[in-house]
Amino acid sequence: MRANNMVAMILAGGRGSRLYDLTKKVAKPAVHFGGKYRIIDFPLSNCANSDISTVGVLTQYESVLLNSYVARDHYWGLDTYDGGVYVLTPRERDTANLEVYRGTADAITANIDFLDNINPEYILILSGDHIYKMNYDKMLDYHKKMNADATIAVREVSLKEATRFGIMNTNKDDMIIEFEEKPAHPKSNLASMGIYIFTYKTLRKYLVADAKNPDSHHDFGNDIIPNYLNDKKRLTAYRFKGYWKDVGTVDSLWEANMDLLKDNAELDLGDPTWKIYTEDVNALPQFIGKDAKVEHCYVTQGSVIEGSAVNSVIGTNVVIEPGAKVIDSVIQPGAKIRAGATVTRCIVADDVEVPAGAVFGSKNSKEIQLVAGKSE
Amino acid sequence: MRALGIISFEDNTANIEGLCDHRPVPAIAFMGRYRIVDFILSNMTNSGIGNVQIYCKEKPRNLIEHLGDGKHYNINSKRGKLRLLYGEKSFSSDVYNHDVANYMLNMQYIEEDPNPYVVIAPSYFVYPIDFNDVLEQHIESKADVTLLYTNAKDAKTQYLGCDVVKFDKFKTVLGLEKNRGKLKNQSVSLEAYVMTKKLFIELVHKAAETSSLYWFKDVLADSVNELTIKGYQVKGYVACLNSLPEFFRVSMDLLDHSRAVQLFKPGWPIYTQTNDSCPTIFAEDAKVSNCVVANGATIEGTVENSIISRGCTVRKGATVKNCILLPGAYIGENAKLDHVVVDKYAIVHHIKKLEGTDAAPVYVARRDRI
Repeated sequence: MRANNMVAMILAGGRGSRLYDLTKKVAKPAVHFGGKYRIIDFPLSNCANSDISTVGVLTQYESVLLNSYVARDHYWGLDTYDGGVYVLTPRERDTANLEVYRGTADAITANIDFLDNINPEYILILSGDHIYKMNYDKMLDYHKKMNADATIAVREVSLKEATRFGIMNTNKDDMIIEFEEKPAHPKSNLASMGIYIFTYKTLRKYLVADAKNPDSHHDFGNDIIPNYLNDKKRLTAYRFKGYWKDVGTVDSLWEANMDLLKDNAELDLGDPTWKIYTEDVNALPQFIGKDAKVEHCYVTQGSVIEGSAVNSVIGTNVVIEPGAKVIDSVIQPGAKIRAGATVTRCIVADDVEVPAGAVFGSKNSKEIQLVAGKSE
Repeated sequence: MRALGIISFEDNTANIEGLCDHRPVPAIAFMGRYRIVDFILSNMTNSGIGNVQIYCKEKPRNLIEHLGDGKHYNINSKRGKLRLLYGEKSFSSDVYNHDVANYMLNMQYIEEDPNPYVVIAPSYFVYPIDFNDVLEQHIESKADVTLLYTNAKDAKTQYLGCDVVKFDKFKTVLGLEKNRGKLKNQSVSLEAYVMTKKLFIELVHKAAETSSLYWFKDVLADSVNELTIKGYQVKGYVACLNSLPEFFRVSMDLLDHSRAVQLFKPGWPIYTQTNDSCPTIFAEDAKVSNCVVANGATIEGTVENSIISRGCTVRKGATVKNCILLPGAYIGENAKLDHVVVDKYAIVHHIKKLEGTDAAPVYVARRDRI
């Protein structure tokens, strides 16, 4: 915590129901991305790279894998003497039975004792669902410079897109004067990224008050931010430029993967100054066979390609057998494409076996097909 | 497993020309993402050996960085220990810098280890082995020393300078002599031994007293009549990385995935230092066949029968055939390479053509620009 006196809290309880079978047994933040990563590697690596050493991860839905994953804080170099990754799940209490987190703010309120113990000056609220690289330390500098009570990261979207987001209406100094959730007629194009920095002492008061309000949804966007605005607290918008993607649907997860293939990709995972860290799997290097064809692909270790892969992202320990064709697809770790099978415009889920000769997806499909295992 | 692991160093007959100018054999990059030491060290930790000493003859810098505290080799940070040891004292001449001298200089660490047995093995032989099986045979056979060997089928060209073992019909060692490539079929010593720690210490002292030029294998060869030395045959994959052509040949041989899985056996992980590299980018015009490719590379050109290590770049129009690119090597546009070993971070972009042979691959030095 020494580094910048800011604790990060990652909201990672989301189910991600629009990812269908990809989140049947794992929470959305644990879904694989880019061949070797999991979505939550992004906020965790951003924290590590931003000199944040204490990170709480708030989990709820299908949390077994996610909890054990994030607890291995050394993956992200967050195992420092005075830091760590702390898994915070709903708990039973002396005075109350086990209650699930009722909203984003409630998840933080429920762990006020954890935060009080650390007693940080600032608290950073993050979502575990987004793919982006961001220096939160710079955002904190901005928060301090603006003498703000809360700083909300925003990015510019088109006015058409703005109807799908929480929109911040600001004055000429980028101070937030109004917040509108999914407005039909947006007044601004600054969309909230769900990334907040609060001065902890102030936030604590608001959280305690909000918890007592029976009409509250206990949500940052719906309740806490409007209360701050009503009380004329200093809220500022921090403009973020760069790659950011919510990978909440099969199509958007596929698109974000395909973005990695673009020349001069905006999301450069090879930048040595801002690495994205992940689990260190003991897989062999890639084996590319004698008759293989690998063109315009993003391929990670452990994969064995004897067939053909074009315009695709190939995950850890994926096998593509002779004669199999993978086109415009994302093959998640451990999946096997047996001989002669063809997969086009698909996401093949983790450890799924596509049988020999099978055909999935098509070149002209409107939507990306999810090839998942049999539902249990 | 109740044994102290000792990773010894190879004698001067093992020299991977060029690569050894910059680091000791165990620190040489191998198969895209590993270093040679990873194999024997993973064998030890997979066998449940928690205390490991690695002896380094010289140039420890690379090895220190790669080994770290040993956590990535699955060594328990509380109950286990990885020690990198070398002669604190500088040797007046290279001939005095041998394994026995280094054991003598670090004897206190050997003596204070609580394990009753030692497993000693150098890193330049790569093979998968469960030392539990070896120790079990060792105890059952009541031998003083158990020596690991492989039945080489091409000892005329491979394992040159290594020791060949003569056995009686009960697999008791009768003698050890240098392989000078006269016979095709030979039992080759892997210079790996299991014995009690007590006997090991005695033999080290005996060697030091006999001659200040004695290596540990010399005292063993002297002791074949007094001690019962039994052979333990390693039946699976074994390779010896003791020269540049052999390093090259073995690497090329492992391009075949079905061969590679004999070394990288399922359920027997080979650990290494992670580098957090992103996946490798194969560009639109990339043509890659029969290759082993590590992460973090960018391939735009044509690559055949080659090993591309972490973070290498092969630019457009470049052709890389039968090559080993070590981590961070950069091959510029339109360069043509055949039978070349490109050392770490070397840049090949002004010279358009480099060609070697199986017997004499061209070596491009570390951080060289050509």
